Amino acid sequence: MRSNSKNTLLKVVILGDGGVGKSCLMNRFVSNQFDEHSFHTIGVEFLNKDIELDGETYTLQIWDTAGQERFKTLRTPFYRGSDICMLTYAVDDKSSFKNIEMWRNEFLNYADVKENGQFPFIVVGNKSDVPVEEREVSQLELETWCNENSITSCIETSAKSASNVQEAFKMAVQYWLRLESRADKIDPGVNDTVDLKKKHSDNRSSCCTGSSE
Amino acid sequence: MEDCEDCEEIFSQDGVLLKQAPATHITFVNTIGTLYISESLNSNKKRFIEWKPNDITVDSDIQDQEWAVVNTIQKRTRTLSGNYPPDYQNRIKCIKLNFEDIKSFRIANKSRQISFYDGKADCLCIFGFQHGSSDVLLSILKRMLRVSVSKRDKHLYIVYDANFPEFQQLDRSFAELNIQHDSRTLWSVFKNLKDHPYETTFEAFSKVTDYVYRSPEQRDLDDVDRENLNRSISEYENTTTHSQGDYEVVAKVPERKDFPRLRPLSLEQWKGHMNSEGKIEDVESVRNLIFRGGVTPCLRSEVWKFLLDYYPWSSTELERQKLLASKSDEYYNMKLQWKRMTKTQEDNFTDYRERKSLIEKDVNRTDRTLDFYAGDNNANLQTLNDILMTYIMYNFDLGYVQGMSDLLSPILMLLESEVDSFWCFVGFMNKVIRNFDIDQAGMKDQLSNLHTLLAFVNPQLANYLDTHDSGNMFFCFRWLLVWFKRELSLEDVMRFWEVLWTGYPCENFHLLVCVAILETEKPNIIQNNYGFTEILKHVNDLNGKLDMAVMLNKAEGIFYQIKESDHLTDNIRLILGLPLLQSQTSYGSHEQSPFEDSAELSNGTQPCCSVDNVRISPDEVAYERSINSSFL
Repeated sequence: MRSNSKNTLLKVVILGDGGVGKSCLMNRFVSNQFDEHSFHTIGVEFLNKDIELDGETYTLQIWDTAGQERFKTLRTPFYRGSDICMLTYAVDDKSSFKNIEMWRNEFLNYADVKENGQFPFIVVGNKSDVPVEEREVSQLELETWCNENSITSCIETSAKSASNVQEAFKMAVQYWLRLESRADKIDPGVNDTVDLKKKHSDNRSSCCTGSSE
Repeated sequence: MEDCEDCEEIFSQDGVLLKQAPATHITFVNTIGTLYISESLNSNKKRFIEWKPNDITVDSDIQDQEWAVVNTIQKRTRTLSGNYPPDYQNRIKCIKLNFEDIKSFRIANKSRQISFYDGKADCLCIFGFQHGSSDVLLSILKRMLRVSVSKRDKHLYIVYDANFPEFQQLDRSFAELNIQHDSRTLWSVFKNLKDHPYETTFEAFSKVTDYVYRSPEQRDLDDVDRENLNRSISEYENTTTHSQGDYEVVAKVPERKDFPRLRPLSLEQWKGHMNSEGKIEDVESVRNLIFRGGVTPCLRSEVWKFLLDYYPWSSTELERQKLLASKSDEYYNMKLQWKRMTKTQEDNFTDYRERKSLIEKDVNRTDRTLDFYAGDNNANLQTLNDILMTYIMYNFDLGYVQGMSDLLSPILMLLESEVDSFWCFVGFMNKVIRNFDIDQAGMKDQLSNLHTLLAFVNPQLANYLDTHDSGNMFFCFRWLLVWFKRELSLEDVMRFWEVLWTGYPCENFHLLVCVAILETEKPNIIQNNYGFTEILKHVNDLNGKLDMAVMLNKAEGIFYQIKESDHLTDNIRLILGLPLLQSQTSYGSHEQSPFEDSAELSNGTQPCCSVDNVRISPDEVAYERSINSSFL
């Protein structure tokens, strides 16, 4: 386990189709603001936010990327070194839900996470405030998909009405903690310092190959 | 040498023709003189190759430092017409090449010619031997410099003299570090440089940094390692690009000049350039005025149609009227194509459906804070949507890519006409089409070119970025994709775009704007020791804080600094659309490298030297002229 006295920095990547509300989730979580007419994201942005859990402070570094397929090659280098991946869709957009699988695969492909090990994915169905008649994905469909894909954390949120947004990020960190403590039990020899360094140097080379490919 | 008190002459050969020289010495090309090798009597024992024309007697009070050292940029005060002050020409007559600056040389014409290169694909000098040959000189150079023959060109000698400080350092750093188990990585770095200079460079230097930071168990390289390393270095030298100059040889660019922005193009000026039929008579002069100050707002809706290639610059008023009618038909035809699509067709056409859905989402997230697009059920949003949908039918291969709605929005806001906005948007898209490549190759090229330019203008900052995981320049992505649309106010973005649409003063001027901004932010970045994430954040947060006029002013200053640099490489010329030095960019395959500056130096008349392939585009000359006429 990480030292109790330390502030742990966790890199969170938010993925999902264009328009599902990735930036809005981030802005609601970080500054508790919602702008109905905010711009779509170009390139990559990130914000930091401290979160407290069981008396410990975690700094979440939240990365928000442009969702269009076209920007894949410029987006994927940022997956490396992630601690948590938030897969998002909009409950009023069935195809964005179907694409969750694609996003998970893209993440696994480029994030270079340990094989065999489970990675803390959390699936977030945003826009839960939409009227029932506009809803295209039910809570049940979400839970079924997560069960089938061995993802234990999922939640419906609304960045607009500030529903469940803090909870979603908290849930993600808790999941990360669970996996982290399990990994410690399995392989106590692996400690953070070595791990982080490795990630850091990997990150750099990935950036280079990413843009030269 | 008698004229140079502090030097000792080691070798001399007369009857040596100067066949090619730096711009500063262009008037001595085709002059016969004497070639010397001399050694400084100071403690540094520096060695030089010197050449001076036969008919010159150098005044005794002229000291060594007044001799021109090739590859050192002089702080020259150049008039706009391109002439040097007369005393300048008299002072610098001798050519002096520091041994350290010679990275390779090549023998040609059956040993009757020798060319010296500075390792940046630039030729320093070419000398021809009127009587005798270069054989003696060659044997001396071989003794004095550590050279090896290029594997690709047996006439090309690569210099890797131990005197070179950068190689000493390199050797030392390799030797001090325990890199034996990793040394293969380092050799591959040098090998890769020739294929992917940009990608490899930032990777390489971050790796070297890694080694430096790693705790050194002092262990020397064994002989095999050293040999491999030397071989790699010589291969690297063989195909060296400007990147070497960027990182190791710090060459200075000339002083920056100030190019004040002018007032925007006025109605009177605009009408004054039109003849009775409504045809623009002096297009270059109009474009230049727009570059210098933009367009006065009430004229924009007309002038933008020219700038965005909707109206041909050569058209008359009558022709434009006809054009409008046909373009309107064409637009509505395309619009009908998607409007008529049935529900079933849409259901069976995933690709189309996805595009339609993304456009809808993005239109609802474009400039909604501006009155023009504010509120629910805004008709202008629908027009924005329809134009983007019609663009899909116009260019289905490209379709819709995020960022396009940003480019269209100000155009529609200004023109308020669906048809006109569509065709102007097409014109804008044609200028930036590579921003939207499927594989994003166009964006990657621009990021890479931006790095190249920055490394030339500000090597310290480029080096900082390279060693802080930021050599990929990714943090400039948004600037480049939508031409600062997200960073500037509506009024500023309109001004900025119309200035850039003129295509002046060079291609890819927007990259120089980026260089200007980064340079301004350099103290913040370096003093705070920012890494990649902090730089990204800092750059993203510049949103709304940039002064457009200052950016343009600086960028133009940077352009002339680059253009007037003596060590300007073809790589840079290519990015900025300046005439190339040589037809082939591959190193070592060229013999004669004419100077792009030659036309300027002779004030627009024929170049005074016999150089091949002087290529200056008519645009370039016209631009120079219009600049001059507006200032003089």
